[in-house]
Amino acid sequence: MNAFEYAAPRTLDEALAVLGEHGDEARVIAGGTALVTMMRQRLLSPGYLVSLREISGLDRIEAANGDVGIGALVTHREVETSPLVQERIPVLADTFRRVASVRIRNMATVGGALAHADPNQDPPVTLIALGARVEIRGAGGRRELPVEEFFHDYYESALEPGEVVTGVVVPRLPAASGAAYVKFLPRTADDYATVAVAATVSLEPDGERCRAARIALGSVGVTPIRALAAEGLLVGQQLGAELLLAAGEAITGAVDPLNDHRGSAAYKKEMAAVMVGRALTQAWDAARASSRTRP
Amino acid sequence: MGRGEGFVAHKTVTFTQECAIPVERERLWDFLMEVPKVARCVPGIESIEAVDASAYKGSLRVQVGPIRLSLEGTMTVEEQDRAAWRARMRAEANDRRVGGGIRARMSLTLAPGEGGTRLRIETDLAILGRIGEFGQPVIKKKADALLEEFAHNLGSTLRQGG
Repeated sequence: MNAFEYAAPRTLDEALAVLGEHGDEARVIAGGTALVTMMRQRLLSPGYLVSLREISGLDRIEAANGDVGIGALVTHREVETSPLVQERIPVLADTFRRVASVRIRNMATVGGALAHADPNQDPPVTLIALGARVEIRGAGGRRELPVEEFFHDYYESALEPGEVVTGVVVPRLPAASGAAYVKFLPRTADDYATVAVAATVSLEPDGERCRAARIALGSVGVTPIRALAAEGLLVGQQLGAELLLAAGEAITGAVDPLNDHRGSAAYKKEMAAVMVGRALTQAWDAARASSRTRP
Repeated sequence: MGRGEGFVAHKTVTFTQECAIPVERERLWDFLMEVPKVARCVPGIESIEAVDASAYKGSLRVQVGPIRLSLEGTMTVEEQDRAAWRARMRAEANDRRVGGGIRARMSLTLAPGEGGTRLRIETDLAILGRIGEFGQPVIKKKADALLEEFAHNLGSTLRQGG
């Protein structure tokens, strides 16, 4: 690993000033699980590290106007074990529980995972399906982006130089809704997914027909994606084998997986269709259960 | 000795790409055989100089996500067969800072196409060392983006009478 300067400012404004001053040479560090690994591999050699860990206020999970706000410094383990998240958005707690191992989850942060923009991660998939937004701060002010618009390319995000992810806001699902995260892991439990799918389904008052649905996939291309075409097929429909087949076909056309040691592109394409079927079935069942308990 | 040497090569990737260049085959061939000129159309090229009649050394900058590679190495033209409209070349380059490199064999074929010439490039590419695991999955996409820009640059250079 290269030698570098380390700064741990106490406020976000200070951090932004340091980033502005050092430009390309500086990188933001939070949990360090991704960045330090890349530095040890000498893939990255930043001259300046700006830690966010001394900045207060970025480590909270809070309910606000029905939404749940999660600060950038909240760890994966904290999301997984948060009573608020478990009660309001159980699928999100479940998703974070599936990330790597508990040692990594104790260090890796929500903001760091987003900024890393690795297309194989779990949380972005579920955040996209939930319609979450990323909060970003830069010298120019504050902005928000839907999570699905945040990822631009392989390990490339919408973050401009000098900008920092400060948190995510997850909206509440409507009544009679269900959600599911399905991670296809043919190798080991702590691996990245070969294909990952998150789905949310909201039902009409009849408790059967789909009113709205969102589907997101990870490990199927250079960024996590939202499957709009497949979502469109579901609206107004009842769950059935034919519908899942059609949705699966739409998925096959929407994904562009990479060949790697977790599977060939062709295999991942087929598995994407299968996993979408499973995620939709689980989300639909959960939505039906929710519509029965909350008439 | 560069850091790429001695590293185990990840699996070799083979791919074929095609693009249309809006000039006739003879003119494209003549241009393509002038390596320093062609090199200027390659996105990210920083330097190129002749070592002898068929070998060149140079450097190329490539960015994959947050990782910037500076590949330094040699390119050798192994075959120029105008009768068959085919050329073959070999490239070896290493990034000293990151540790790792590439080994590539390329075969270029020119065929008449609508409004000009179809350039077909077959590549066998191995990525070595630390950049391999990170870069391997996106080699093809990166190569496609590079070719698209190369073809565009080649087209506009030739139209300007390059």
